[in-house]
Amino acid sequence: MSVDLFISLLAATILAGTPLLYATLGEMLTERSGVLNLGVEGMMILGAFFAFFVELKTGNHWLAVLAAGLGAACTGMLHGIVCLVFQGNQTVSGLALTIFGVGLSDYLGTPFVGTLTEGFQPFAFPLLGQLPFFGPVFFQHNALVYLSYLLPPLLWLFLKRTATGLALCATGEYPDAVSAAGVSPIRMRWIGIFGGAFIVGVGGAYLSLCATHMWTHNLTAGKGWIAVALVIFAFWRPGRAVLGAWLFGGIMALQLRLQALGTNIPSSLMMMLPYGLTIFALLWASARGKGRGAPAALGENIAPGA
Amino acid sequence: MEQNHVACNGGDRDEIRPVVRLEGISKSFGPVKANNNITLNIRPTRIKALLGENGAGKSTLMSILAGKSRPDSGRICVDGLPVQFRSPKDALSAGIGMVYQHFMLVEAMSVAQNILLGQESGIINPRGMGRRVRELAARYGLDVNPDAIIRDLSMGERQRVEILKLLYRDCRVLIFDEPTAVLTPPEIAQLFDALRRMAVDGRAIVFISHKMKEVLDLANEVEILRRGEIVDSFLREDVPDERELAARMIGRSPEPVIELVPVEKGEELLRLENARCEKVDGVSFSLRRGEVLAVAGVAGNGQKELVEMLTGRREPAGGVLNILGRDWKGFFHTPVRQKDGLVYIPEDRKGLATCPTLNLIDNFVLTNRLSFLNGPFMDWKRGEAATREAIKEFNVHPPDPMVPAGSLSGGNLQKLVIAREFYRKPKLIVAENPTQGLDISAMEEVWRRILAVREHAGILLVTSDLTEAMTLADTFAVMYGGRFIDVFPRTDTAKVEAIGLMLAGIKPGEKLDNKEAEA
Repeated sequence: MSVDLFISLLAATILAGTPLLYATLGEMLTERSGVLNLGVEGMMILGAFFAFFVELKTGNHWLAVLAAGLGAACTGMLHGIVCLVFQGNQTVSGLALTIFGVGLSDYLGTPFVGTLTEGFQPFAFPLLGQLPFFGPVFFQHNALVYLSYLLPPLLWLFLKRTATGLALCATGEYPDAVSAAGVSPIRMRWIGIFGGAFIVGVGGAYLSLCATHMWTHNLTAGKGWIAVALVIFAFWRPGRAVLGAWLFGGIMALQLRLQALGTNIPSSLMMMLPYGLTIFALLWASARGKGRGAPAALGENIAPGA
Repeated sequence: MEQNHVACNGGDRDEIRPVVRLEGISKSFGPVKANNNITLNIRPTRIKALLGENGAGKSTLMSILAGKSRPDSGRICVDGLPVQFRSPKDALSAGIGMVYQHFMLVEAMSVAQNILLGQESGIINPRGMGRRVRELAARYGLDVNPDAIIRDLSMGERQRVEILKLLYRDCRVLIFDEPTAVLTPPEIAQLFDALRRMAVDGRAIVFISHKMKEVLDLANEVEILRRGEIVDSFLREDVPDERELAARMIGRSPEPVIELVPVEKGEELLRLENARCEKVDGVSFSLRRGEVLAVAGVAGNGQKELVEMLTGRREPAGGVLNILGRDWKGFFHTPVRQKDGLVYIPEDRKGLATCPTLNLIDNFVLTNRLSFLNGPFMDWKRGEAATREAIKEFNVHPPDPMVPAGSLSGGNLQKLVIAREFYRKPKLIVAENPTQGLDISAMEEVWRRILAVREHAGILLVTSDLTEAMTLADTFAVMYGGRFIDVFPRTDTAKVEAIGLMLAGIKPGEKLDNKEAEA
């Protein structure tokens, strides 16, 4: 029986880790272009709301995902306008975006609190879902989970094997070099912001369409912030982001199960675990991360005319 | 001699049609005319030198040609047709590329990735990319490993990557901004060889320089810029030697450099006995009023640490340091900050000496703030008046105290720093490579200023420029490996002649290890 328990824990790990994976990969794309966007939490929760709302009105799941992505991307554009057009402070702008996103989604969502939607339903993936062990752990989930498996390799291919990805990474390192090579670094950063925010928005859609299937207050519960930390933990590499997101997903799944088993540890302490781990992960990454640091120009604005 | 650039077109050596022609280019930054009505022909197979002092407008002109900035007026013709460059991309697609003085390379990426950056292709094939880079490198003798990461490369190798970037795009015109500034002598020889090969290959080379020797070595054609205008333009064969070239460059004979008239020496201001700190291994000397003591040496032999110790930024590990009659701890605990004190002219003008984004008044008041106090408050009116006066007296250009310090050229910034430090009428001056990177006229002016304050001050001049030491010093100290190889007066001609040897750590024919020279 303990094997079944273990399998169900791993399956829950994947489910809990998926929204983190989307948010982490999105923020990673943005940061690789040299833009620090601390608005992940805000964009994510707005994405969750847009997805919920479109799902409620149309019943079309994929349209809802698209709405979440585009909605978050448009919110991210505000960050782009502040940082790329007016060379504003990226940290301040990102924080403002989080406050704005959380506030707006709360305001818009109040009438819908507790309203249920259908959302994505789990289905066993053809063939792979029948595998022993791997089937139940990885391939008996919903469509957005399967999509998230494709994302890290795709992002890696984009960053490492396409000319646009190369220019985007170079913009995060040294925008002047990109400009001298005849590519607009500002355009690369727009791509980073828009693309990154879109992926973060899909992570938000996961929360309302796959996890809760309804609208509640504080749906993200700090997952956006954990994603910001996970980007650092992952040393800005897509592969390590998977590791980080699932590790955190595992902790979340574990603490729920431990609570259900009825331990003596206070539940509030258990719920704190992922956040405590965030701090620990950051400490670890700062100690280990020498030489594998952030993109060199992360957080630095590009002077006009460059 | 009085030929101008238009006449150049007539000579029968100039049958070759220019690939690029700049016509009447003008560009201003605020009130400063960086380029004023410049016309220039660039021909294939030729190596053209743009020679001029700092701030003459060479870099501005070339960044216009490379599409990095746009002219206020004038036009650029490529193959006889007028074009407009809105960005470096436009210039590159017209076959014009530039190697900047500060390399435009992404340090965290590989050589091949840097070369490929900005190339139009959707998917990158790393192996094919490496192969093509290797082929190109072999053809021009620009040896570099395509898989190496830029941060592991020497300056010379990085420059080769920059050149390969342009050759990969098949640029017909290659522009170099001070290409030899960061290179070692063998690397310079290798670069010149590659440049000649490119010229033979039918490309046009333009390089910016203020070093006369390399212009004579490399160029076929020379254009001289002064204050934003082309004042002279001739072929290499027309100038026999450096002296003639220098005369043409600064527009007057460079002959009377500076004559050193010793002034009477006064009391002792600074005395070190066996002073030690990290990288300084027992240094002794004494400096008196009216004296310039030049610490000559190749950079990295402890001069930096010595200066840090003398300016209170590094605690001595041992020995005696007597600064203006007090010991090190006593002096830097309550240093004489205003009149009759110690001032420091750092080498790093834009980092240590000034705040580049603050204006000239802020920067002037920065170290003189105690002179402009009105109770606990700053008297900015007096500060501004003093700044304006200093700007006028020291001939700082532009004469506008409101511009940010970072917008000044190196020479003008240095003049401002010197004006600021001399404002307090110091008794002891520590100057660190005060003319590094300055053009001839700014250099002379700085030298004159330093000599002029000897009446009431002693100067410790730390320099890696032997000419500077020879021009200014009453006493020489040669530093090597954290020690003074020797300290001797200017009058000891035998030792002065042997400075070159001492720089390499060799003390010629001395038996006694006597480092103390009579003052």
